[in-house]
Amino acid sequence: MNKIISITAIIIVSASLVGMWLETEVYQEVKNGIVEVLCLSCLKLDPYTKSEFTFQTANGEKHPDFVLNNLSTGIIFLHFSEDACPGCDIMHPIVEEIFNISFGKEEMVYKEIEYENTTIHYYYTNIDHSTPGRNQWLKIYDKDHVGGLPMFTIITLGYNNGLIQPYYTTLYGTLSLDNDKARSDFLKEVIHEGIELYNENLPGFKG
Amino acid sequence: MKNKSPKVQLKRLISQLLIFISANLRPLGVKTGFCYPFFYCNACPAATSACPLRSIEQSLYHSSFKWKLFFYPFLILGFFGSTSGRAVCGWACPIGLLQRATSKIVRRLHKKYSFFKKLANHPIEPYMRYMKYIVLITLVMLTPFLIDFMFTDICPVGFLTGTIPTVIIFPGKFVPNVFFTAALIIFILFIILIFTVERGWCRYFCPIGAILAPFNKISYLHVARVPQEIFDKECLHCNACSDICPMGIDVPNMTRSPECILCGKCIEVCPKDLIHFERG
Repeated sequence: MNKIISITAIIIVSASLVGMWLETEVYQEVKNGIVEVLCLSCLKLDPYTKSEFTFQTANGEKHPDFVLNNLSTGIIFLHFSEDACPGCDIMHPIVEEIFNISFGKEEMVYKEIEYENTTIHYYYTNIDHSTPGRNQWLKIYDKDHVGGLPMFTIITLGYNNGLIQPYYTTLYGTLSLDNDKARSDFLKEVIHEGIELYNENLPGFKG
Repeated sequence: MKNKSPKVQLKRLISQLLIFISANLRPLGVKTGFCYPFFYCNACPAATSACPLRSIEQSLYHSSFKWKLFFYPFLILGFFGSTSGRAVCGWACPIGLLQRATSKIVRRLHKKYSFFKKLANHPIEPYMRYMKYIVLITLVMLTPFLIDFMFTDICPVGFLTGTIPTVIIFPGKFVPNVFFTAALIIFILFIILIFTVERGWCRYFCPIGAILAPFNKISYLHVARVPQEIFDKECLHCNACSDICPMGIDVPNMTRSPECILCGKCIEVCPKDLIHFERG
């Protein structure tokens, strides 16, 4: 009798598992959402935040078209997040407060924001609800090769060997800071630096 | 069907080492969408797959219910559970391997200081084993759903296999976050536990053990005794099987115990060959 129960259980579980693999995207969801993204809360660590700007994309790919197109009118702020992410929950209201915007954590958001008399093209990407193309941005701008969330990228303009080119920095996690005020101030400071660089270099930018 | 194999412990060690290596192939570019059927952290720099608890937590986080992420780890664990019960704990889990390594120290400690032995045999001990079910239901399921707090944020296994290797491999690249202190305290308690109680983590706290344990009741492969009348006649009551059991099971009176990890130590030690692996 027990043998029949064991074999029945194995068949039911195996069939359900194979069905799930064949009929759903769960394998990719787990791979893209858990294995490929570093869970900073599981790690109990945040990347040490350095606000240094760079011209070199993280994976050597070219800057996406939307970056080049938008840079002629303002700087770009990319905000990456995921559903189950305590660090994202901490940073979400801070970003909302800085830009005076409000949106749900699961939404895909694009907004043009006026900040310090400069336009900021704000893109919010929740990787659990986004498209593969948009998730690719994360790899392009993962400056320190952390692969962890939340991640914030500020793309401005910089002078590089006679050319004005996209110049960016990426910040991770809760910015290695222990309170919301310090996080907000630090983020504002980096945005301000990005705006200054932008205003300095915009006249020479050819798109 | 009886299947008493010699050198079970050597085969088990080889299995544990091979599975530990295969769980850490990320440096070779291996990344999969599977959940481990045992306890291992996806934040480990070498991890190839996902922690099943992380998938469950992610499915329930912030009062959501993502059925695919919820059922997927249960089905993977269910497959191994229905086939071989908690054999995964004894033959595959890297944390089981670690506790195997500490078990000799624990036994020496128990021999030297009777306090630890008394502690392990305290009347409350059997009830402590229900803690793992409470951890699974509260910290892995309820708190992520209700208050956005996840077990993996303070997980000692994550600290051991994720935090410590990351700090060593990437010195200066990371700094402690808000969960670090709590996780460090729990990790220290975890270390004390596995050095004072043999398989203490598996016995009392492992939420994955809690998922696998009920499958021991129906698993195809399990540890069994010879028929009762032969057992009663032949058993020497030497208690060697219970003494050697790393999970502290009363083996002569065991019938498909949810605590059995199929390590086979009782099979090897029985002088009358009254215990064996059985299929079906």
